[in-house]
Amino acid sequence: MVCLLLSQLRLNSSHYALIGEEPVNLRKLKLTSAVVLFVVSFVMVTASQNKSKRYNLRGEVLGKDPATNEITVKHGDIPGFMPAMSMPYKVKNPSVIQELQPGDKITAEVVVAGNGNDYWLENVRITDQSGRKAAKAAAPPHLLAVGEPVPTLPLTNQDGKTFRLSDFKGKAVLVTFIYTRCPMPTFCPRLSSQFARIHDDLKKTPDYYRKTHLLTISFDPKYDTAPVLRKYGLAYLDNDPSGFAHWDFASTTPGDLRQLASAFGLEYFEEDNQISHTMSIVLIAADGTVARYWSTEWTAAELEHALRDQAAKVATGSPQQAKQKSRP
Amino acid sequence: MTGRSRTAVLGLGLIAGAALLAGCSWLGDRFADDKTRGRALFVVHCADCHQAAHPELRKQPPKLEGLFQSKTLPSGAPATDAQVRKTIIEGRGTMPAFDQRLSEKDVDDLVRYLHTLK
Repeated sequence: MVCLLLSQLRLNSSHYALIGEEPVNLRKLKLTSAVVLFVVSFVMVTASQNKSKRYNLRGEVLGKDPATNEITVKHGDIPGFMPAMSMPYKVKNPSVIQELQPGDKITAEVVVAGNGNDYWLENVRITDQSGRKAAKAAAPPHLLAVGEPVPTLPLTNQDGKTFRLSDFKGKAVLVTFIYTRCPMPTFCPRLSSQFARIHDDLKKTPDYYRKTHLLTISFDPKYDTAPVLRKYGLAYLDNDPSGFAHWDFASTTPGDLRQLASAFGLEYFEEDNQISHTMSIVLIAADGTVARYWSTEWTAAELEHALRDQAAKVATGSPQQAKQKSRP
Repeated sequence: MTGRSRTAVLGLGLIAGAALLAGCSWLGDRFADDKTRGRALFVVHCADCHQAAHPELRKQPPKLEGLFQSKTLPSGAPATDAQVRKTIIEGRGTMPAFDQRLSEKDVDDLVRYLHTLK
């Protein structure tokens, strides 16, 4: 458009010169054209800044939430918008969400509002549905039945000391799994916060405190080394390291972790430096067998009550000695 | 200067002006993209904790509106870009570390977005 106006300006200038008009007309014309050109350029620039932008997305549906009209997509790099990651997107057309299933491969357009404050998906198309079967067929992991003995795999705690679950025989033990970089407040931070509350409560009753133990196991052993776990644990123990005598934060090798997770019904997988996972809380009786499981439906009061019940079955005597004897 | 020369100069001036405006537009778009990225990263990584109440958490994550309007962060540390970057990457207290999960640019865009929260 700018070029067109300029060429028009040249033609008009030549025309005026040929027919011998006064130069003042030429100046007026140039001025008018300049003003028009400036206004047109300004409008074009303003329009380009307010115009929404579109980016092509290609990815896999991990989940959907019809209540919020959002789907979570694991997508590749979207140049100019977002690096490869898994994140939720609103879908403009609500009926589309009914069609989508976890495991579906999709293409879509990410539309970013001109003001940069909102974004959503349009033109969502399913390119491959074969992943649905795999998503559905993911068999539930094998759980140890209540009453079965817990694994005796080695674990390493926040102080770098190695121990085994069997070392806690004589105590009721509450075990759960986390990773320290978990950013989901209703998952790992909630678990550790509620375990801290249980720890605080038990501390008020020394007999129960002595007959119980808490254990938090990381499923991110590569990152959650002993020093990382110690720093994490201290944050939940109000920086009192004496609390580690009652609450261990541990990790293990990736292979042993898989076995533990299988035994205790934990599912986890890593993608894009984040770990997707379920929740698993296990109560181990004083005889070293599984007493009870919880997944998502639980409260700290319920866990503590069950833990105290198990502790109450422990004969008064030597659980502390037993632990001290067997742990290095 | 002849009429033709004046026209040429005027034309060049207008082209330069249009190019300048186009440049401004491009820069504006770049900042808009960064703002969008920063906001999206904030929604994905920060908002769950910092923009909602979680009574079951040991410590309530602080609101981040006006973070840079104060001289100090909720932790008491100075409210500087460097300190906020450190907190994001290394975590602090019960706040998880985002180490190895966010790129340098991600953190840049996040910090830039945090500056816009009033």
